[in-house]
This record gives sequence, structure tokens and C-alpha cells, in this order.
Amino acid sequence: MLYKRYIEIGRVCFIRLGDDIGKSGVIVDLVDQKHLLIDGPDGIGRKVLRLNQVALTDIKINIPRGCKTKTVRTAMAKEGVEAKLAATSLVKKFAAKNAKAQLGDFARFKIFAGNSHPELAQRIAQ
Amino acid sequence: MKFKCAELKEFEIVGRPLPKGDEKMPVYKMTIFAPDEIVAKSRFWYFLRQLKKVRKVNGEILRMTEMSNSSPTKIKNFGIWVRYDSRSGSHNMYREYRDVSRTGAITQCYRDMAARHRARPHSIQIMKIEVVKAADTKRPVIKQMHDSKIKFPLPHRILKFNKKSIFVADRPSTMQ
Repeated sequence: MLYKRYIEIGRVCFIRLGDDIGKSGVIVDLVDQKHLLIDGPDGIGRKVLRLNQVALTDIKINIPRGCKTKTVRTAMAKEGVEAKLAATSLVKKFAAKNAKAQLGDFARFKIFAGNSHPELAQRIAQ
Repeated sequence: MKFKCAELKEFEIVGRPLPKGDEKMPVYKMTIFAPDEIVAKSRFWYFLRQLKKVRKVNGEILRMTEMSNSSPTKIKNFGIWVRYDSRSGSHNMYREYRDVSRTGAITQCYRDMAARHRARPHSIQIMKIEVVKAADTKRPVIKQMHDSKIKFPLPHRILKFNKKSIFVADRPSTMQ
């Protein structure tokens, strides 16, 4: 099969745009060709998102179409979605990018020194 | 005219002609979809004037409440009965939209009418909006979403273009 990731009920998505950036949810229903109904843990809740706000992961769980939030959360827990998500490159890359953005000036300087100026790095370490 | 950057709101407006003395005046209720209260009141008087012999000067609004959306996380099929003025006449239409709320569906309707028929909001009248059961929907665009095992890939996915990579050695991958 050429395509491995589908927009389907139960597909786990990573949210790449919008207020919930960095979080992940499960597709519970489809509004139309461009909008999804996503549900997830407390951080997101149940909401409608646009297709372009979302990136698909390889994880898919088994849930009935349009099921309740409780059902979604128990299914997510049962399949160990959180652990699987933490292993996906999408989540890892976002976490790394986020960490880099949170760095302070001194931390950035330390990285710069460590990469190209070993003597500087030694002096900072003292 | 009507300024519609965000989703419309649903208002239930109740008004009546001003009583002259002890006379009991008829009371009229309307559901108006508008971006804010001011436009809602204005449209209320616009329609009431067309239907009954009462003007804003001779009338009063008894109650205006903003209606909240019921079940905002349940996807519904809405059938909307519209009357609109085209360049050469007035027409009735029945349109269907899939949305999570009444206001969302009506907003979609206004956008859609503008796009497909160049109808401006002032020439559109919403006659009725109802939730339609999946089996009773008529439009294929709506019916195609009623597949319980619906599934589609995102072939050739083009996300927001990164201007830093205008010239690259290899063609970027569009696999999602």
C-alpha cells in the first residue's frame, strides 16, 4: 500500500498549529473533508480542528465513531497511546524545538562555546 | 452592511407594537442570526416591518436573548431553507451543511451563498434551519460523510511553504 496513514476514526493526531500546538488527540468523527472532531486527555478535550492544523501519526486505536470522551480516554490508556506518542519523531522533534526556544542566553552561549570553542567551554565550566 | 468576520450568533427576539392606552398588543418572536445584538435588532425590525404593520418607532423589543449552541461537540447535518435575491429575481433554496452548531452551519451558509451565488448577506433570508437525520439528507457532499468506515489518505500534502527552502537540491517529500 502506498499510503500508510489515513484520516480515519481512531487515528492519533499530533496538533501542529493553533492553541493546542504540541498536544495530541484521537480522531473521533469527521465534520467534512477539511474538519475533524478530535478528543484527547484533559489538555485538549473534545473540539473541532482543521485538517491542516494536524499531523498524522502511525498510531491508530479502535473506537466507535462519535463515541464519548470517557470511551476515548479509556481506549487511549488501554493501548498505551501516550508511551507510543513519546516515541514518535513528531513529538520528539517538537519537544526538542520547544526546549531550544526556552533556552536562556547563557544556555545558548554554552552550546555555542561547546560546539566551536572548546577552550571557552572549559573556562565556563570552571 | 453586515460584518461577518467571526461566527454568527443566534438571537431570539421578542417584540410588539407599542400599546395605545389599555389595548392588548400582539407579541411577535423571531430567531435572528447576526454578528451582534445591534444588527440582530435591526434585522428583527426589518423582517417584522415586512410581515406586520409595525415599525421600530411604533414598537418595542420585549426580550432579546442570545441562544447558546446545544451539543457543541456532536456533529449534525443541518438543512437550511433560504430565500435570496439574485441579480434578476428572488429564489428559494434548500441547502445542507454539516457542522457542530446551528450558528456554525448558518455562517457556512452565508459564506457559501456569497461564494457560489455572489449573494450578499443583506439579500439572504434564513427561513428555517433544522437538524436533518443522516438518512434524510439530500446532498451528495453531505451524504459522502455518512460512511461509518470513512477513511482517506492525504496524498500529496502541501503544508505551509517554508520560504527558506525556495531552492533545494531535491524535491521535497509530500508524504504525510
